Amino acid sequence: MNVAHKIKSLVSDQRFVLSLLTVALFIFFGLKNSAFFNADFVIYPLIRDAATLSVIGLAQLCALSIGHLNLAVGRMAAVSALAAGAAYQYLHVSLLLGLFMGLFVGASLGALTGWIIVKSQVNAFIVTLAMDFALLGFVTYIYVTFTGATTAFTTKPAGMEFWRNTSWHQYCVAGVCGPKIFPMMLVPAIIAIAVIGFIFSKTRLGRELLSTGSNLRAAKLSGIPVDRRVITAHLMSGLLAGLAGIMLAFTNGSFTAAIGSQFMLPSFLGPVLGGTLLAGGSVAVLGTFIGTLLTLIIRQGLSVQGIGLETLNIALGLVLLTALSLGQIQKMFTAIRMRGRT
Amino acid sequence: MTFKSFFRNRMTELSLTIIFIVGFLALVSTSQGVLLSRASLQGFLTYLAVPIVIGMAQMVVLCIGQMNLAVGAMGGVSTAIMATQMADHKVSIPVALLVGFLGATAMGAINGALVVLTQLNGFIITLGTMTILLGVQYRLVRTFTIDKYPTSLPDFGKKNIVGFPLILVIAIATSVVLSMYFSRTGSGRRVLATGGNALAARLSGVSNSRSVFIAHTLSGALVGVAAIITIASLPGINRSIGGDWMLSSFSAPIIGGVLMAGGTVAVYGTVIAAGVIRLVDIARAQYSLDPSIVSLTVGVVVLSTVALSEWRRRRTVRQNEGRKVLPA
Amino acid sequence: MSAELLVESVSKAFPGVQALDKVNLALHGGTVHALLGENGAGKSTLIKIITGVYRADAGNLKTNGEERFFDSPIEATHAGIAVVHQERNLIAEFSVEENITLHNPPLRLGIIDRTERTRLANEALTTLGFEIDLNERIKNLSVAQMQLVEIAKALVTKAQIILLDEPTASITAGETVKLFEVISRLKSQGTAILFVSHKLEEVYEICDTVTVLRDGVSVLESKPLANYKQSEIVDLMVGRHLADRKVVIRKVDRQVNAVLELKNLKTSLGHESVSLSLYPGEVLGMYGLVGAGRSELARSILGLHEITGGEILLGGKSVKIKSFRDALHVHRIGYVTENRKEEGLFLDFSVRKNVSVTILSKILQKLGIIHVGKEDVVASKYVDRLGIKVVDNDQLAGTLSGGNQQKVSVSKWLAAETKILIIDEPTVGVDVRTKASFHELITELADEGLSIILISSDLAEIIAISDRILVMRDYELVGEVENTKDYPSISRSIMSSIHSGS
Repeated sequence: MNVAHKIKSLVSDQRFVLSLLTVALFIFFGLKNSAFFNADFVIYPLIRDAATLSVIGLAQLCALSIGHLNLAVGRMAAVSALAAGAAYQYLHVSLLLGLFMGLFVGASLGALTGWIIVKSQVNAFIVTLAMDFALLGFVTYIYVTFTGATTAFTTKPAGMEFWRNTSWHQYCVAGVCGPKIFPMMLVPAIIAIAVIGFIFSKTRLGRELLSTGSNLRAAKLSGIPVDRRVITAHLMSGLLAGLAGIMLAFTNGSFTAAIGSQFMLPSFLGPVLGGTLLAGGSVAVLGTFIGTLLTLIIRQGLSVQGIGLETLNIALGLVLLTALSLGQIQKMFTAIRMRGRT
Repeated sequence: MTFKSFFRNRMTELSLTIIFIVGFLALVSTSQGVLLSRASLQGFLTYLAVPIVIGMAQMVVLCIGQMNLAVGAMGGVSTAIMATQMADHKVSIPVALLVGFLGATAMGAINGALVVLTQLNGFIITLGTMTILLGVQYRLVRTFTIDKYPTSLPDFGKKNIVGFPLILVIAIATSVVLSMYFSRTGSGRRVLATGGNALAARLSGVSNSRSVFIAHTLSGALVGVAAIITIASLPGINRSIGGDWMLSSFSAPIIGGVLMAGGTVAVYGTVIAAGVIRLVDIARAQYSLDPSIVSLTVGVVVLSTVALSEWRRRRTVRQNEGRKVLPA
Repeated sequence: MSAELLVESVSKAFPGVQALDKVNLALHGGTVHALLGENGAGKSTLIKIITGVYRADAGNLKTNGEERFFDSPIEATHAGIAVVHQERNLIAEFSVEENITLHNPPLRLGIIDRTERTRLANEALTTLGFEIDLNERIKNLSVAQMQLVEIAKALVTKAQIILLDEPTASITAGETVKLFEVISRLKSQGTAILFVSHKLEEVYEICDTVTVLRDGVSVLESKPLANYKQSEIVDLMVGRHLADRKVVIRKVDRQVNAVLELKNLKTSLGHESVSLSLYPGEVLGMYGLVGAGRSELARSILGLHEITGGEILLGGKSVKIKSFRDALHVHRIGYVTENRKEEGLFLDFSVRKNVSVTILSKILQKLGIIHVGKEDVVASKYVDRLGIKVVDNDQLAGTLSGGNQQKVSVSKWLAAETKILIIDEPTVGVDVRTKASFHELITELADEGLSIILISSDLAEIIAISDRILVMRDYELVGEVENTKDYPSISRSIMSSIHSGS
């Protein structure tokens, strides 16, 4: 492979283009207003949010990998956080045990959703939408019934402060300390990215999930247990949604019904910008992180310029639509090239 | 038309009607007739108008096998346009309402155009436009409540026609026109044909792109009607308008018998399902249960309805095509 | 003026295959013109070009003297062309009368005139002598009823040119008689009718002129049908390119245990009692018309549909196969589907991933990690062995030609080292040369000991490579022929089993 070819393949890699764009925008916003480079008040929280939202992006990505959607990611996050919060409040469990209990609830909800989809043969969109409605009612009901007016579990397990407020700066190896801008919250996100990336790129499970997403009938005829894979994908989606919900609760310092209510759009933005196909069969795990980071830089960058929340929404919507249209234009060009060849 | 085919094709609508009547009577008797009082009845019927129209706004997109996540945001922006026109620019009521209505229609048309141009599912496109429109809505309304417009508008909203709230009459009239459109016009049939079987429609000379565009535009126009009803029935407009529309926009048509796969509309079913959902809401208030119970119930009902219709569909397929189809 | 449709040296290529090559056809009013050819010969493509679904690469189309291709089906309809397509093109949720008038609903003041619509639909159905509730939805009808609605849909347009693509494929003999009466009536009124069918007897009964397509070429162009004997037509359809090949009679030992045996198998799809045996290294051909129940049988054996009676024996032992997964991993049976794009391939996956999908469990390291090196070795092995033309193993399957795609689809089963392979219509839509190489491959695999059931509607193909031929009609096995590879006699005896008793 010669150099020109290498450059060409690099440029056509969505992740590379996305990273370039992210870095460029980062520098651009910083140059326009140096307040953007403030480590403590801008960059640290930005990366902390990116960590949480990447995980919710991965939750959506798992559903997208088999060509499904999960509209209930936000509510699954809320229920997991609810479970973890209740465990801390009433059972006084340790931080880790509460986390596992929350994750277990998220995974079970996901598996249940997958099971309903398989058994009823109803399309995933509507099942997860209905699931979203039902869980919304459930979550609000529980908070109101158990916590009354506060509508939150406020017990903070030991160690929660550490996760929400400290950075890698505390860890030093041979006199070199971690960067101050990397929050501890990045650790679970990195683990999630690594594990999910590993599953999809290297393992049989990942291949089977993608086969199911690429062509369900062919996968079935090739002896892949497609029903079980649909359940697996939704289980993973629920588990990751739960993780994101608990991460957000840690960041906020309390467990409320509002957790996850803002997750739906970011859950699609990350994977779609990163290059995950909506139709299934192809995922971009690292791209999800970069895509999430990009949207947060746009959001934070504009907000540092003093632009209000409403314009941020407009900008993000435009970014999503542009990214989608670009994908389509690219596909059209490929089609034209293909036609020329045959 | 034979009775057999009539009943078979109207099963959902008939059962919903029975549920509605039984439910209504049950509520009347358990409330010792309070529900029949002028004020309660008025409230019940007035707040039925918006769910009916937004249900139809979602229905017209569902019938081509797509969905419109932006109904709420479109409604929010449309009412915001109407309110700011009247309050800040002193535009007369009819002109402001018309501008808001046309605005909603244009938003629907943009959705349709984007879906046709990108060839992507309406879901993701409307997710994008929804985000943009929410931004626009906040920009227009900010954190205020806009109510500095002539009181003749809220008065208009309180009018009655032979005992029925005028705005409910508008909603019902809209549904009658829509029903006529789908059953009696060539354009309506073509839109449905696209949803039912795009390939067959194309071979029969239907332009599927045009159908998709029409469906989304029509959805926008219906949201415009819902916006008019909303602004006429509320004392003022704030940024929360439209925020809770998504649930009811999907639940009414789906419970009313519209297939997610496309190809059907059930105008009467949507209307009566909106009525049933409204009854659940009333019952909730009557027994002073938490509002979240409604969303829980509706979620469960929606899910069971789709599962049931899918099961029925597969049963008929099995009965009819045992020898032909090869589902993998 | 009587209707006239002239197709003049029309060509059309799809990626990897020349579907039509300078085809000519002249259809005149007052005649019924047969368009014949094997599956994949280009009949449906030609119909789709005439009706504006596809665009031709070259050539001319003259409709009633006007020279132009149609850009869309609606233009063709306006020009007076009606068509009954082979695929079912009804809207399931619409009523019978809505479907019949779908092209052009009668309007009054812009509103659909229901009385007129009912009258039109009724008229069309009465001509067919077919009674049905006009308000019943299509989804509640039987297949035969749907087919009749399709035909009524064509009649209602009052078209001067009617194209019928296999109109009798799923209707009963009685309904066929009525359809023929209608066709005769239309013919006497000056309508031009193009009739596509696999049933030669029907063709001789109703048609006046004939055009035969073979591999996209019109080998017989608009000649009077009466001048040709049925056997001559069959020869033209299948051509000599396969029949002339070196004839090899393979020896299959049938004294040993059968690898697969069905005993009075009954399925939920409608097979009542199917019995057959497949011996080691045998190529067992299964011939039948489209819809005879062959693929359905194969899929039932593999666990996709319910077995409601009888027995499946593998190597003499009675087994229950629960799913394709079970069939592959436990019983080592593979199935090469006829719908390669819908069911056979992952078009957005690389060739490597397509080949390895059946053997993921065999190329694993610890922790369920796929050993990419081993995966590549396997893929290369079959790319070389089958002569699949690729740039490298990472090329996407969707970018290959039809023949190469089919080879990839077969590779995954070879990689899985199955003992029994059911191959369903392997050469539909591939060109002649690829077809020949496929036939060699199948014979070679059988020589290596693989037992193969070959399902095909291509008579020449079945005769060229099977050792023994079973004939299926209407979900029943109606004949068994030891293949001497003598084309005329074998084809005659197959045809006689197909038609006996019908």
